[in-house]
Formats: sequence, C-alpha cells, structure tokens
Amino acid sequence: MINFRNLILAVVGCLIFVVSGTLAPASENLLCVTGPCHLKFPEDHGPHPGFRTEWWYYTGNVSDKNGLKFGFQLTFFRSRIDNKSANTQKSSGQVSAWRAQQLILAHAAITEISEKKHHQSERMVRQAVDMAGAARKRDRTHVFLRNWSLDLMPEYHIIEADTGDFALELTLVPMKKPVSHGDQGYSRKGQKVESASCYYSFTRLKAQGNIRVGTKTFEVDGLAWMDHEFSTNPLEPDLEGWDWFSIQLDNHTELMAYFLRKKDGTYSDASSATFVTVSGDSVHLNRSDLDLKIMNTWKSKQSGANYPSQWRLRIPKLYLELDIEAVVNDQEMKTPETTGVTYWEGSVSIAGFLKGQTVSGMGYTELTGYVKPLNVPM
Amino acid sequence: MTLFRSTNFFFGLFFRFSIRHMAKFPGRALVVLLGISLGAAVFTSVRLSIHASLNSFNQSMEMITGIADRVVTRPGGRVPETLVGPLLKLPYVKSASPFLYTYVQPAMTGKSPFLLIGFDPILDRPFRKWQLQNSTLSDQGIWLDLMRFPYSIFAGQPLLDDLGIKPQDGLTLEHVGQSAGFIVLEALSSEGLALVEGGRVAITDIATFQEFTHIWGEVDRIDLLLDSTVSENQINQIHKMLPEGITLGMPNEDQLSGQRMISAYQLNLSVLSFVSLFVGMFLVYSLVALNAASRRKELAILRSTGASAKLIFFIFIAEGGFFGLVGWLIAIPISSVFAKYLLQGVGETISTLFVRVSVDNLTLSAWEIFVSLGMTMFISVLAAFQPAREAMKVFPKEAMDIGQPVATHRKSSRYLAITGVLFILMVWPLSSIPPPENFPFPGYLATFVLFLGFSMLSSWSLEMVAKITEPALLYLGKEPAWLAGRYVHSSGMRTAVSVGALITAVALFSALVIMVHSFRRTVELWANQTVAGDIFIRSKMADINRYKDPVSQNAMVFFNNLDEPVDIDIYRRLFLNYGKNLYQFEALKWDVYLRYGSFFWTEGNIKTGLQRLKNGEGVLVSEVFANRTGLGVGNLFQTSIRGTWFELPIIGVVRDYRTQGGVVYYSLEHYQDKTGDLNWGGVRVFFKDREKIPDEAVFQMRNRIIECCGDSVNVTLGTQLREAILKIFDETFAITTILLLIALVVAALGITSTLTVLVLERSRELNTILAVGGSYGQIRAMIFWEAFLMVLTGEFLGILCGIALSYLLVFVINKQSFGWTFLYGMDLKTLAVSYPLIIFTALAAAIPAIRMVFKQPPANLLRER
Repeated sequence: MINFRNLILAVVGCLIFVVSGTLAPASENLLCVTGPCHLKFPEDHGPHPGFRTEWWYYTGNVSDKNGLKFGFQLTFFRSRIDNKSANTQKSSGQVSAWRAQQLILAHAAITEISEKKHHQSERMVRQAVDMAGAARKRDRTHVFLRNWSLDLMPEYHIIEADTGDFALELTLVPMKKPVSHGDQGYSRKGQKVESASCYYSFTRLKAQGNIRVGTKTFEVDGLAWMDHEFSTNPLEPDLEGWDWFSIQLDNHTELMAYFLRKKDGTYSDASSATFVTVSGDSVHLNRSDLDLKIMNTWKSKQSGANYPSQWRLRIPKLYLELDIEAVVNDQEMKTPETTGVTYWEGSVSIAGFLKGQTVSGMGYTELTGYVKPLNVPM
Repeated sequence: MTLFRSTNFFFGLFFRFSIRHMAKFPGRALVVLLGISLGAAVFTSVRLSIHASLNSFNQSMEMITGIADRVVTRPGGRVPETLVGPLLKLPYVKSASPFLYTYVQPAMTGKSPFLLIGFDPILDRPFRKWQLQNSTLSDQGIWLDLMRFPYSIFAGQPLLDDLGIKPQDGLTLEHVGQSAGFIVLEALSSEGLALVEGGRVAITDIATFQEFTHIWGEVDRIDLLLDSTVSENQINQIHKMLPEGITLGMPNEDQLSGQRMISAYQLNLSVLSFVSLFVGMFLVYSLVALNAASRRKELAILRSTGASAKLIFFIFIAEGGFFGLVGWLIAIPISSVFAKYLLQGVGETISTLFVRVSVDNLTLSAWEIFVSLGMTMFISVLAAFQPAREAMKVFPKEAMDIGQPVATHRKSSRYLAITGVLFILMVWPLSSIPPPENFPFPGYLATFVLFLGFSMLSSWSLEMVAKITEPALLYLGKEPAWLAGRYVHSSGMRTAVSVGALITAVALFSALVIMVHSFRRTVELWANQTVAGDIFIRSKMADINRYKDPVSQNAMVFFNNLDEPVDIDIYRRLFLNYGKNLYQFEALKWDVYLRYGSFFWTEGNIKTGLQRLKNGEGVLVSEVFANRTGLGVGNLFQTSIRGTWFELPIIGVVRDYRTQGGVVYYSLEHYQDKTGDLNWGGVRVFFKDREKIPDEAVFQMRNRIIECCGDSVNVTLGTQLREAILKIFDETFAITTILLLIALVVAALGITSTLTVLVLERSRELNTILAVGGSYGQIRAMIFWEAFLMVLTGEFLGILCGIALSYLLVFVINKQSFGWTFLYGMDLKTLAVSYPLIIFTALAAAIPAIRMVFKQPPANLLRER
C-alpha cells in the first residue's frame, strides 16, 4: 500500500537465507518473510521494525441510533528508512533525536453512506521526539501519530483520530481470536518465496463509540475488522496491484480474499483467501478455489482510474456465492502528502448464498494499482 | 469624437508652437533634457537598486518564513525540540515545523559563507515551497533522501555554480569548530526556498543539521500552521503550554524590523537622489520661463486669433511634460548603466549596515518605474506651472505693441524674499515635530522648506549683491563688471532660478560634507573609545550568525587558564526584539571594560551611573535604542530574555554606531546570575600595560589563541577591527558622494543653460555694445562677471543653507531615520578646497555662453529689426 519508490528501488532483493519457517535477514539489515511466521500474541501485535513495512489497519461499518450508516478506515503504517551512510556520528558520537529509522504514516476516512459522502485525511512523521511511535509494552501495543492513535489490548482496542474535519473514537471488542492467514501467517504475494508477508486479522470486532463529521457527532455501533501485516519485499514485477476484500456476513462468518492483478489482466496464482467459521476456525483457500467477476465499474473524475464497483465472488469449495457492491462509488483515497498512492478503499455491501442459505453483510474493499502499477511491499 | 478632435488640435498646436520652437534652438532644449535625464537616471537607478535589495530581502524572508501563522521562539536562545510533539498533538495545530538556520563556510574554497537551513522535510512541506531540478516533490521519496543520507544537502544552483560543484559531488563545510563532509544530492530548482539569498542556500535534514552544528535538543524556532477556525481561546492554550521564556509570536516580526531598517536607508538615498531631479527642475523652469517671456508677442497673436488663456496655459504645461517624458526616456539607458554600479554598492551597504541581502541582478518593478516616471513628470510639470501661469496672462492687445516686452520682478523679488525668510523661520519648529514611526517626515519637510526658503531669497539676494558690490565691481572690473552688476541687479527671475539651483546643490554639498565629517569623526572616536580592546575573539561567523553560537568550551578553558599580563572582558551578546525594534543585548564585565574603554554619554549621570551599572542596578542603552523605543534615563527596560524577566531602570544613554539596531548593556555577572546562561558571546583582551603594548606581544597572543581554538573562533586585532569599522563607513558614504557629484553636475548644467539663455536673449544688446565700440574682450568679461556674481550669490546662500541643512541632517534626519546623532564638526579643510573649486566649475560652465555671444555677425542681428 505504500509507495516509497526510492526506498523500494534501493532494495534489489533480499539476500535469501532460506531457513525453514523463519524470518531471514535481507540487505540493508532488513528481514524478509520467507516462511511460516509462527505468530504469537500479544508479542506480534507490536511493531516489527526489522521489516521494511508494516501496517495496522482498521475498517468497519457502523450506524447510529437513527440508522445513519458510516464506513470508516484508520490505518497506521510503519515504514523503515535506512540511513545510507555511516557518518551519522562522525564528529561527536552524539546522535540527534531526529535521526530516525522509521516513518509512521496514517490514513483515515469516513464514508457517510446515507449522504454518499467520503471524507479522508492523511498524516506522516518520522518516529522521533514524541511525534509518533509504535511500541508494545507487555500486552499493550500503542501506535500513535500526533493525536491519532490505536491501543491494542487483550480485551479491547481503542482507535482515535481527529482530523479537524472529522473524527472517530471507537472501542473495539474482539468477538473472535486473531486469525493467521496463509501458512501460520505466512501469506504469499508472489512466485518467489520471499514475496510474502506475515499477516493476521481480527475478523470480527464489536465497535462502539463516536464519529464526528464537521460539527455533528454521532454515537455509533457496528462491526470492525483489523489487519496487521508486515513484509519487506515489493510486489513482483509482473503484478500491478491488488483487489482485497474483507467480508463480514450476518451468519457470523467472515471472508478475507485478495486477488493480485497481473499486468496481463489475469489474477496471480498467489492470490488467496481465508474463510473464518462461526467458531473462529480458518479455512485457507487458494487461487484455484476462487472465482471473481467484475460486474460493474466506476471511473474516478479526479484520477481517471477505472475501478470495479461491483463483483460476483464464487467459492465453489465452500458453496459460497456473493454479490459485492460499493455502497458509495467515490471512496477513492488520494494521499499526495504521505504515500503518494491513489487507491480505492471503501465500504461495500454483500448479498449472496452460503450452502444454499441467503446471506448478507458488509465489508471493506481495497483496490490498488488502478492509477499506475504499484510497486510496494504487501 | 469631440474629445478626440480637441486633443488632436491641442497636440497639433503644441507641436507647431512649442516643438518647432525648441527645434530652432536645439542646444537649449538638449541641455535641459540632459539635466532632467541625469536627475531622472540617478533617481531611477537608486530606487531600482534599493528595490532590488529590498526585494531580495523580502523574498528571502518570505521564503524562510513560509506560510506560518505563528512562530514559537525563545528570545535570546533556542526552543526545546520536545515542544514539537505536544504542539503537533493539538487538534487545531495543522502542522508544526522545527526550523534551524546558520551560515556555514565551505572549507578551503575561499568562498564566502552561505545559508544552511535544517528542517524536517516531512513536517515542513506545508510551510515552504521548494523543488528539485530533476524531480518534483510529488515524486515520493526523493526528498526522503535527506533523511536517508546523513550529511546530505540539496543546494541552490547559484551556490553550486559559485563553488564549482555539481549534484553527487562532495563538499566540506565548517561551522564553529566543526567540519564535516557533505554530499550534494540534487540542485534546487529556482523557486521557493532556492530564491533565498540569491540561491546561495542549501537545505538539509534537521538531524544532520543538529549533528553538524552540535545544537542538541533545540531548534531556532517552531513554525505553526493553525486551523482556519482557531479561536483566541485556543491560541491562549498554546501560550499556556509553552514554558517560561518561550513566546508565541507572529512569523514576520524579523522581516518587519528588517524592512523598517532598509526603508529608512531607502528613504534617505531616495531623497538624496531626488536632489538631482530637483535641481533639474530649475532647468525646466528656466527654459519654459524663457519661452514664455520671450514669446509674449507670439502668445499675444495666438490669443488674438482665438486661443484661450487656458489653452496657452496647457501648452506651457505640456512643454514641461514634454521635457519630463523625453528626459525620462533618455534616462532609461543612463539608469541601466548607473544601476549596474549602484546595485552592488547598495546591496553591500545594506548587508553591512542592516540585514544580509544578496543581489545579483535588478528586478524591474512596475511600481518603481511608475514612481520614477511619475516623479520626473511631476517635477517637470510643476516647474512649468509658474511660467505657464505667466503666459496665460498675456493679453491679445500685446500683439500690437512694438518692441520686446520685458517683465519686471522688482516687487515680487522683495515679496519672495520675505516669504523665503518666513519659510526659513519655519524650519526649526517643523523639524521638532515628532516623526511617525521611523519615518523622518518632519525632517524632510523642514529640509524642503529650507531649500524653498533659500531659493526664494535668490532674486532679492542677487539684487543686493549687485548693489553692494557695485563700487567694488567698477574698481576691479571696470565697465564690464559694472555693467554685469547692473544687469544681474535687474535680470529678474530666470537668473534667480538658476542661482536657486546652485544654492540647492552647494547647500547639499556643504551639508553632506559637514555631516559625513561629523559622522566619521564621531565614529572614529567611538571606535577608539567604545570599541576598546587589543584582541577580539568570537565564534566563527558570529556576526553573520548574530552571535547565536557561543564561544567554544576549549576557548573558554584557554582564557580561564590564561596566565598573561592581560585583562579579559567576557561578554554575551544576544540579538533580540524590543517591541518591533531589533536590538543587541550585551552583558559585559563592567569592571574590566571600564578600565580600558568608555562611552559617550548623552544622558544620565556618569559618576553615579557607572557604579550602579557595575552593581547590576540598571542598564545603559544606546542613543539608537532610546530613540527607537522612546525610552530614556529613568524609564524601565522590561523584557524577557531566555525565560528570565528583566525590569531594570535605564541609567544612561550613550552614543553607539553599531548597526542592526540599538544596544542595551548590562552587567555580565548579574545576567549570568539571573539567567544561568554561562555561555560567552565573545572575549575582549586588554594588555594591562597601556603605556607600551608591543606589537610582538599582541601577535604572539593572537597566535596562541589561534593555535588553541582557531577552528572555532575568529581572532581580530583591535586595530584591525577599528580600521574595518572606518572602512565600512567610507564605503557606505561612497554612494552618497557619487550622488552628490551628479547633483553638482546638474547644477552646473543649470548655470550653463541660464547664462546661455541670457546671452542669447540679449544678443541684440550685446552686439549693439559691440557696434558702439565695445570690444569682444569687454563683452566676454561682462558675461564672466555676470556668471561670477551669480555663482558668488549662489555659493554664499548655498553655504548658509548648507550649514542649516547640516544641523538638520545631524540632529534631526539621522536621529529620525536611524536613531543616532553625532558630534557636530565642520570639515573646514575640505570646504576650503571645495568652494573655490565649485566657483571655478560654475564659471567654467559659463564658457559655452560666452562663446555663444558672437555666433551671429552683429550686422545681421542688427538688421533683423
């Protein structure tokens, strides 16, 4: 999701030390994901500064007592910047407090579904002088950027962001344990073994709190989703982006699916999905298990990108067929001040069948690489 | 349509009546045009040169200030960087950017220091605009290279050109005791920050800046961008969260105080350059008046054939306008030549005296061009006003009169003289009016009234001089001199106007000679007494960096352990603002300093004052500080310095010619006790044995200091420093001298023009004298005596006017403009040499007139009628 072109271009590739089921050192003292991540909690809720990129990603759909519906997104990114010279301490041995190895970025958005309005904001600072940080202390993970923050604790998460134009302040209670995707969190993103990330999700969080838009504050509740992912390597050269879905169905099951789009228009074999049962067990699904058809598109007047806006997702293995549709077409995120990536991230509604039973739900979708090919770690 | 027709008719008539007439006598018109164009060129080039400096300064300041709404600073110190985080967390603070800047020296290049800016390239993005030559900020990551590559910079192209390097080249930079290798990542494209200091600027990451300069945990300031809906209450919340001594102010305070200082200089130089234009005005008057007077018959014929008085009036006004417009057009190429020379001089003067500017080329300003054209046209039209009024009074019946009508001015000369005296009497009360903020309007008004008054005296004075000198003339120059006296006595207004021009030029010359002499003498005394010390030590580039960097630790250790027959005066100097005024706060060791140095007190009791100063019971302020702030002896000096509140009575006011604002002196020991600031700004070394200070000892001491801490401090010998002060002074006044000389040239042109006109006008009479037996020599002698009487009168009145003007300059205009006055003193030697020289030059200006006399054969002239 991040496009630090230079950072990425500087990395020719990981020096692979394929140690089965481990995280291997890469060039520039970076670690690469090369096998099962063996995620442990709460340790792995915290930051992994050895990897180039990491994000804590919250989305959700909530409504107030009058039925006004809102979608929200709050994502914190950590991006490592490595100092390219050894002369930082050349003259005195003392290092400036501003000499940082990490950048913290964040994107926030609220979709007023009833009003069909989308509000967004972005921030970025270096992890220094108490401007931003990501740390875990015992069982509490705290990530903050100015006055935006997330607190991830065993019992609940708290997310807060005030952009001036809008704000959100939500308490999120996990209703299921975290789910590791892929092979014990090792989520393949390409053909190469190191083209992967460590990835887990809280697929069902009960959300409660306040959303403010302009001067109006709404007391809301609903469902949220949390992803935490870290990796080092960029997308492989034949890929241009991804279509990602988080789906929460009314039968208390969830589905995460991502489709890596190749430049030739097909989906990569590395695309995959995870189905989470009512009890919280996960079923890993491969590309061959998934069938995604685009049913409609929407063209952004601002970026000129032609995004899918309606899909039909079929997973025959699960007897699952879902129609997914953007609740508001224009949920395009423009982030010139931080990542520089223009992407679509928005609330979607879902209707379909699971094992012959009608199901419906809400979810969030992320579409990248539609303005220009994305070359970032996933 | 009617308007078009009447305009067309007017210009047709103007062309036939005025332009053709001018074409008949091209010499006269050319002299006037030359004079007015010289004046306009001086005025324009001075204005453009200062405008270029001001523009450069403003541009630099605006680019550095960015679009901040508020700025967090610490008077006399730096701001803790730990404030950035809390400030960024306030919801109504859209962004906060820590900012550092300093001048650094490129090592071993012999090149002058340049400005290095340190900031966080992420936080700063909303504040200041900058781009790279080969990419844009929207190319993510390019700017992140500043963070990724420690000791990397982006540099302005002019800086790279100056240093002879290109992107990816290495460069060693020095700063107060530190030296480090940098890499130039990329050149800045010429916009935004790259325009600061004419492009001699580089930017680096804040971490690199701090590590290079050893400024740990602090930044120069924090710029804030606030939400557009921020309330007073929220601003107060920011105030409350700032620790003691940290202030939240407007971002452009430094710019405003800099502008104020440059503006005063701009005004002074503009007025000085205006003098040439003003003197040129006499030329226009002289010729238009001649045309109006000598063409009465033609005017009467015009009137009798239907021309209205208004039409006649406007024809002569148009003549003035014509001279203004054409003179201004001729001035354009002359201005560009003048400006080339002035640009650098003015820029350097402003940099030395007030604020650092970097001017490479002229920036054409529509406003300055408008002011220049407008002013030239205005004075030309104004000069034509009175002759035009005279011309419109011509009656149609004069067309029938026989002979050349000659206007007499006997009555009006007396009337004018009385008015002139009244004007001169008004000068003192006018100059005593308190000026609006740093704008010496009363002083200039008084000057204008003084010039006007003396010019009005010229006609009557000519009559008086001619009358009084009549016997002497007859005795010394026989008939030609006597006749010259008689003519001058009755020559009327045109001669008087020319003398008026000479009065203006001589007065200005005298006044400036006196002022510059007084100023220099006072500065010399000040330099020798107040700028006391045998060796001066301060941090490298302390002046240019406004003493932000204290003397290094090893230098402090060196001086603390010095076992020599010397006394050490340690001082701490801080650049601060008192209200809107920039000033320097200097804490010094009174007991040491006063053993070797002293002040010129203008207010206060020296006897008791010195002891009170030593006891830290008050402060001594400079005249500039007192005049700028309106504070004097007995008033309280109240300010916060480095978080400590100072409330001290002003014990005395002293002369001080340090530029960049006034000075406040306080006891170092008490300053250190109050603030805990033990840093040294600099050190003055005094050899104890004042009777004989061997040069060798001074040099040895200097070498020892350089050996110990030469990488972090500048060591200057007292003699060198004092010489440098006087050199700066002389360079500053070089521009003044040039402007003055041009004014004198224009005045000489006035004499040439007037005498030529007078000769031409009297060609018939002069040839009649020749026909009735006068010799060529006698007639030439007569013209010479006429010129002599005019020059003598002009010079005499000019000297008187000049003395009065010098008082105004020394005690009013300088005080109102810059806040200082000087010990008044006449440079009798220069004046004694100059006055005969002026007479000689002015008489030389009469030569073309003398040569004109017999251009036409007398028989032809006499036959014409």
